[in-house]
Amino acid sequence: MTKKKLLVDPKSLKFLTAVSSIEYSKPTLKMGALIASVFDASHGVVYVGERASGFHGSSVNMTRQNLDNWNIIHPGLEVLEWALEEIKKMSPENQDLAKIKFNPDHVHEEDGRVRVILPNDKGSRIELILREGELVDQLRREIQLEDYNLAIIGGSQNKRHLAHSIIQYIPCSIFVLQKFNPRKHYKLLLLVDDSAATRKSVEYGALIAKKLGWPVRTLTVSKTKRFGEGYQGAADLTKAYFQSKDIEVEQFFLTGDPVRTFVEFAGDNHFIIMGASTLNPVKQLLFGSKPIKTLEQTDVPILIVR
Amino acid sequence: MTIYIDVLFWMRQKRWFLIAIAYGLFMHFGVSPPADLNPAAFDALIIISMALILIITEPLPLPAIAMFMLFMQVVLGIDTANNVASSFMNDAVFFIMGSLMLAVAIVSQGLDKRLALGIITLTGHKTWRIVAGFTAISAILASFIGEHTVAAMMMPVGLTLVRYANKDPKKVAGLTAALLFSIAYGATIGSIGTPSGGGRNVIMMNYWAEFGAGSVTYLEWIKYVYPMVLFQIPFTVIILLWTFKPEQSNLDSAVRKLVIDVARAGKIKGREWLAIFLFFLVFLGWVFLSEDFGLGIIALLGVFLYLAFGLVEWQELNRKTNWGVILLFGAAISIGIQMNKTGAAEWIAQVIIVNLGKVINDPAILQGSVSVLLTGFMSNILSSSATVAVVGPIVLDLGGDKILIGYATAIASAFGYFTAVAAPACTIIYSSGLVKSKDFLRAGWKMGILSLVSLLGLSLLWWPLL
Repeated sequence: MTKKKLLVDPKSLKFLTAVSSIEYSKPTLKMGALIASVFDASHGVVYVGERASGFHGSSVNMTRQNLDNWNIIHPGLEVLEWALEEIKKMSPENQDLAKIKFNPDHVHEEDGRVRVILPNDKGSRIELILREGELVDQLRREIQLEDYNLAIIGGSQNKRHLAHSIIQYIPCSIFVLQKFNPRKHYKLLLLVDDSAATRKSVEYGALIAKKLGWPVRTLTVSKTKRFGEGYQGAADLTKAYFQSKDIEVEQFFLTGDPVRTFVEFAGDNHFIIMGASTLNPVKQLLFGSKPIKTLEQTDVPILIVR
Repeated sequence: MTIYIDVLFWMRQKRWFLIAIAYGLFMHFGVSPPADLNPAAFDALIIISMALILIITEPLPLPAIAMFMLFMQVVLGIDTANNVASSFMNDAVFFIMGSLMLAVAIVSQGLDKRLALGIITLTGHKTWRIVAGFTAISAILASFIGEHTVAAMMMPVGLTLVRYANKDPKKVAGLTAALLFSIAYGATIGSIGTPSGGGRNVIMMNYWAEFGAGSVTYLEWIKYVYPMVLFQIPFTVIILLWTFKPEQSNLDSAVRKLVIDVARAGKIKGREWLAIFLFFLVFLGWVFLSEDFGLGIIALLGVFLYLAFGLVEWQELNRKTNWGVILLFGAAISIGIQMNKTGAAEWIAQVIIVNLGKVINDPAILQGSVSVLLTGFMSNILSSSATVAVVGPIVLDLGGDKILIGYATAIASAFGYFTAVAAPACTIIYSSGLVKSKDFLRAGWKMGILSLVSLLGLSLLWWPLL
């Protein structure tokens, strides 16, 4: 694994954080900004608001334009302004970022979204986007439009309903920050098997562990007592990769139902990283997949690498 | 693999469209029409039920649903292309088109600042008086110029007061809700007051003519319905203050800041006087000429005057007018007319009468309760105008006095207090992000009871006197 070309190229990464409100999105935004800085990735922040029904959409738009005349801005733009200020606070040393000023009048409507124009943003690599509509649909459109590598989203109240759609239809790696507590000390739990996505998730895990200094555990689960060559080989390569990066790693091999074992092992103090399923999409739709079931059943942050 | 995911995602997004199509195919090819219903009427019912699924779930843009309703009438052989085209455009659709454009023209004049000053001058600084002023002014204005116009003009005034009362609106959540709901519910209860208060009123007038029930003048409508608007205003204020309990009893400082803001606009300009005068002319036209010219034609004449005097640019009207809604109402009225022509509306009415007649013996109570409850329920999941367009033909065939049943239906279509989707004014305040869905339920059930009792009182005590 160490000799192969890296799948995660930190120079060209683009991360997208979805925020919903000033009240609830602070941990998600902070982690999104931190992860983007860890990877030196450009960072998009998207607010996806509810869209008015077709009957009243134009009345709502007319009202919003009238509100502009009273200097009352769209609630989504307020959230994006707050997001920019929070990101600035997190990187006081970043002079490029400090120069950026938010102006709600400087927005550009394009491709079914509103993009905030940030003057003097050369070098800051920040994008602020306002969208309206259904969350999964709008995130998918934004990710396809800008070719993001990672979407960072908060845990949702109706997680079980959304988990399937998010994992199946978001066309990039997904980081779901459910019940994320920035003050808590997490351990990285890397789920290792013989799937193609494991290699990329190992690279993501190593970068995060290195930059954040979090302890790393790998977990390989077999349904039978025998661990096949594929599983053993993947675990060995993973260990070798972490050692090559001077990261200590604890390895665990357990038997049982994979999803139940992941969830029980993760408890509430791990931060799970696992590869996306390579199952046929129709099978995933009908029967689910390990990532979908794990996301449905666990309450800890989870990064699903595609 | 990507193509599979794209297809699955499309199916996910359009699932209600696929369900509607599957339902339509099954009903058309797999189910025989009841013996007492002719095939064209059965097909009209299939189209309207498919359209309802599509309108409620919106998997397609509204104009696409409108086109679907139109071409399906021809494809299923219900009527010829020319007849469908002629039923699509009528005075009610002209009115909806004209009133939507008039709303854009009026809102773009910046009269909201004058309105703010007027309300504050009338009400003073006490919170309850401001809530009462917002409710009353919204109701009275909405009864003439439509609720979406009023809500668009009043929202900035309400939000500015909230912002000046406290920088964090969450700390004055009660005040925020009381002010915003006074706009939404005020405009909603007012929208029934005159035919020009909402497109649904004009759709009902159009159905009266189509169903041979005669015609009602602008002033007659006011005579029958306006007492209910006036009766509901004080009770709406009480309900809002009781439900949301504003944190501040006096808005001295906020009002002073608002007055300073508004004063910057200077004295009222000639252009603004002209805009008000032109609308007054339109109003006079509705009152005195609508029987001969039609409400829609007069609304279009008003738009023409605004354009001719350069008060609004065509580009602005074109950009801000919801053409999709106009197409949809045209199509909904067209299928409504087919429901009448084919006998589908009468058949549904008979089914309702036969089945509910076993439970409710009095025909008048049966007609009234079905029209009000069915309309009130549907207006909370559909838009109020769409509800009247769809339900109107059925309730007018329930028997009894078509005019009174029509009034009750048009009034009940304004009972969309429970959700943010029903009335445009409710959607507008919801879009501020400062009121939640549960707020609509908290105040909505009280408003629902108030309106039901008011309508009952109106029909039992007032209408017999006329």
